[in-house]
Amino acid sequence: MEKENLEEIIKKIKKAKDLDSLKEISESLLGKNGKISLALKSLKDLPLEERKKEGEGLNNLKLKIEKEIRKREEFLKKDLLRKREFFDISLPGKKIKTGHLHPLTLVRQRVEEIFQSLGFEVVEGFEIEDEFHNFDALNIPPWHPARETLSLGKTFFLKNGKRYLMRSHTSSVQIRYMEKHNPPLKIIVPGRVFRSDELDASHEIDFWQLEGLMVNKDVSLANFKAITEEFFKRFFAKNIEIRFRPSYFPFVEPGVEVDVSCPVCRKKGCSLCKKTGWLEMGGAGMVHPYVFKAVKLNPQHWQGFAFGFGLTRLAMVKYKIPDVRIFNLSDLRFIHQF
Amino acid sequence: MKFSYSWLQSFFSKKLPSPKKLAEVLTLHSFEVENITREEGDWILNIDILPNRPDCLSHLGIAREISVLFDLPLKEEEKRLDDKERKIEKLVNINVKDASLCPRYCAALILGVKVKSSPSWLQKRLRACGILPVNNIVDITNYLMLETGQPLHAFDFDKIEKEKIKKRGGKEIELPYIEIRRAKKNEIFLSLDNKKFLLNDEMLVIADSKDVLALAGIKGGKKAEILSETQNILLEAAAFDSLIIRKTSSKLNLITDASFRFSYGRDPNSVREVLEKAILMIKELAGGEYQGIFDFYPTIVFPKKIKLDFEKTRRLLGLEISDKEIKEILKKLGFKILSENLIEVPTFRLEVDLQENLINEVARIYGLWKITSIPAVGPKVAAPLNPSLFWEKKIKQVLKEACFDEIMSYSFCDQKDIENFFYSPNQVIEISNPFSLNFKFLRPTLLIGLLKNISFNQKNFSEIKIFEIGKIFKREKNKFLEKKMIGGMILNGDFFELKGVIDFLLEKIGIAGVWYDSFEATSEDSKQDVWHPTRIAEIKLDHEEIGFLGEISPLLREKYGIKDPVFAFEIDFEKLEKKATEEIEYEEISPFPAAIRDISVIVPKEVRVDEILTKIQFLSPLIRDVDLFDIFDEIEDNKKSLSFHIYFQSKNKTLSDKELDFLQEKIIKTLEKNKGWKVRKKEE
Repeated sequence: MEKENLEEIIKKIKKAKDLDSLKEISESLLGKNGKISLALKSLKDLPLEERKKEGEGLNNLKLKIEKEIRKREEFLKKDLLRKREFFDISLPGKKIKTGHLHPLTLVRQRVEEIFQSLGFEVVEGFEIEDEFHNFDALNIPPWHPARETLSLGKTFFLKNGKRYLMRSHTSSVQIRYMEKHNPPLKIIVPGRVFRSDELDASHEIDFWQLEGLMVNKDVSLANFKAITEEFFKRFFAKNIEIRFRPSYFPFVEPGVEVDVSCPVCRKKGCSLCKKTGWLEMGGAGMVHPYVFKAVKLNPQHWQGFAFGFGLTRLAMVKYKIPDVRIFNLSDLRFIHQF
Repeated sequence: MKFSYSWLQSFFSKKLPSPKKLAEVLTLHSFEVENITREEGDWILNIDILPNRPDCLSHLGIAREISVLFDLPLKEEEKRLDDKERKIEKLVNINVKDASLCPRYCAALILGVKVKSSPSWLQKRLRACGILPVNNIVDITNYLMLETGQPLHAFDFDKIEKEKIKKRGGKEIELPYIEIRRAKKNEIFLSLDNKKFLLNDEMLVIADSKDVLALAGIKGGKKAEILSETQNILLEAAAFDSLIIRKTSSKLNLITDASFRFSYGRDPNSVREVLEKAILMIKELAGGEYQGIFDFYPTIVFPKKIKLDFEKTRRLLGLEISDKEIKEILKKLGFKILSENLIEVPTFRLEVDLQENLINEVARIYGLWKITSIPAVGPKVAAPLNPSLFWEKKIKQVLKEACFDEIMSYSFCDQKDIENFFYSPNQVIEISNPFSLNFKFLRPTLLIGLLKNISFNQKNFSEIKIFEIGKIFKREKNKFLEKKMIGGMILNGDFFELKGVIDFLLEKIGIAGVWYDSFEATSEDSKQDVWHPTRIAEIKLDHEEIGFLGEISPLLREKYGIKDPVFAFEIDFEKLEKKATEEIEYEEISPFPAAIRDISVIVPKEVRVDEILTKIQFLSPLIRDVDLFDIFDEIEDNKKSLSFHIYFQSKNKTLSDKELDFLQEKIIKTLEKNKGWKVRKKEE
């Protein structure tokens, strides 16, 4: 076969309009009675030297043609796929069926993870408490004004129980834990608390708090600042500033209010932080000596910090939820967003 | 509490910083200033005074703070009362019966005052602080309370009953008489605003021989009210026991500006000073002749002395602050440094008892906001896991995978819920001061919240699968119990769907051996009517009941407005958690193919499927699995037909047809041994 012929053939292959005509061409060359097959067959009549030479040439030709045919075939197949359908990629994806966890659970799990990695053990306590653990041991003796006012709100008492109540803060668990464990202590306590003030967009009667306690020989307020800073940075995944302000809780002294630089506006002032640039996250302070005395620890030997943040509030800030009541209402249209 | 900017300015000769600046600095060092408003040409600062600072329930107190924070000296008092030592024992007989409840009682007598309205500057200041002007005498008492924190009260002297007393030498004279004593049981007090209060002996009163003239430290009475015709007044300034004021105020549900201040305690040493100021102001604004002062103060209160450990101060705060700086701050606040570490506390700082209180003062004046972070020393190790919370998290994850949504609901429920769920009053816990009737009881089961949730959400969803993990509360005899439970509920599903979920859940937390027992309720068992009478099972582990699974009684769900069937489970979390394990053992996958044969068996209607399953499964280790795939009820009289796929597989070889036939035959024989059971092979 001649060289000119090969170029002709390749042109022909490249021009094949569809798979059928390509098959025809292929058949006419490489089929049983195809030109190349026949030429190969006819080789056997040639002398050895010539047969070798001719054979090599023919085989090379065959390979080249085969390659061209494969190329054209692939092209035509691809073209076919492209032409066969109109594929609308803008059609919506299929909904994956799965359940949803409550946003408070998600926040709680994240908070627990962060504190656990900072060395805090997660502890639970009773929701029904007695006056000793909810008040007296926390330096809130009977008739102390903090039982009625302060941020504690009013406490729910149980009927027919000798001064049993629904805990009004998770601080009761500090007492429970210190009664049973000796320092060094490093715990957090997420849990439900109950207060009978108001029920509106910003007040719940049954909500979640996060208590923390760290006690050792020389745990300081500056250490607390480092821990809270680290926590809030990780929780909001942003650079957060912490600010302490004077406050008062009978079970700590000094007592502080913990403000966090607004994670939304970065202190520029927005509706979330009411244009102040800061968000109140809860109270904290250095464990009051009377609290140590109530759990029979010597305040000369031990010192430490305690804090109480609003876990529900953390969830509201994180997800920008404006009404606290939706947590206990658990509207599934709300739950499905998490 | 409201504070007037111009009033605060009057304590200083130098000009104060702007209200905004004042608010900023006070918020960072003393108290949060909630807002600033403009009223009648003045700025009003709304300050949240902390409960440990009764000394700051006054303009004087805030002025003292400002003086320290901005280094501005307070003005000296200009006017002083002459004739301070004049006594009135010859004009009025005052008898304090219990010095422990009334550690100091001062009273001044002024004759011939002219009662009228007070000047506008005074009225303006009262209004700015939220107090309505009445007349000059009453306004002055209120004004000084706002200025100094010391409540005062004025009595119409002529309304006080007179009593005969014997003078030395036997001469009898009549003198107006008042006593400060505990109220008598059922004694009646008529207040200034014409309200009647029934008193008891846990309350303190100012009384003449006939009537109660005032509820000590709380409210004045009608009888000796200052009216426009009043001419002679007895002006009272006292210190009362804070506890009795608090108790009385709480019992009568009566909180006044005075009671609020007294309930935090008053410094007895500053009482007389304020009374003298009041006398001066009355002279100036109402005229009259000052007669003298009565002063009962049997036990003088001396300043407390506290040892301060400077090193502890630094260690507690984590702050490098020098001894000198600490002393400077305390001095500015009015504390005296007696010796190297002995600090004297001014008596107006009632609440300062401990060195920690001093450290608090140092920290806030220095600036809590200036404390910088110091990472705690010690090894950074992750804390031990709390197993209960670990399993709670895991269970939530598994239920989520099973397409359940997590809800949270109130720990409270109402009377109706308790009745609907057939709890008797002695099984549940009642709140003695509920927020409202809807929240009167603690939930004895999670099913209440779950059912209410479905009732709420059904308008938006035709199929619902929800769960909650939380505490339930019950009373057993006189004990209060709380228990963590897992509850789940589905709307428009079926019993076996939910059963499958429980199997899945238990498998995922490594619990094997769960089984379901028919539930036989005793007639007094309240559970029986919550559930559908037949579609209810006890969930059991070994021999212990860990919970229930079933259809909620249609009668119950209809009470919550739910028309479609509801299935539910409730499992004791604590029992489950004890058995949960993380261990999963890999089971070898056989390289040889499994063969499937189908068998249908006709059995009496009341035969339970698990009975048949067990009989087949335990026949040979070559039977890998048995699946029920079809049920025909009523195939003949009282019979049903059940069809199973039976999976045969060996770990060592491919099973031959002969072996399979043999096994199948064995199954058939075993099943047919039972009376009334008949097997049909698929081919037949």
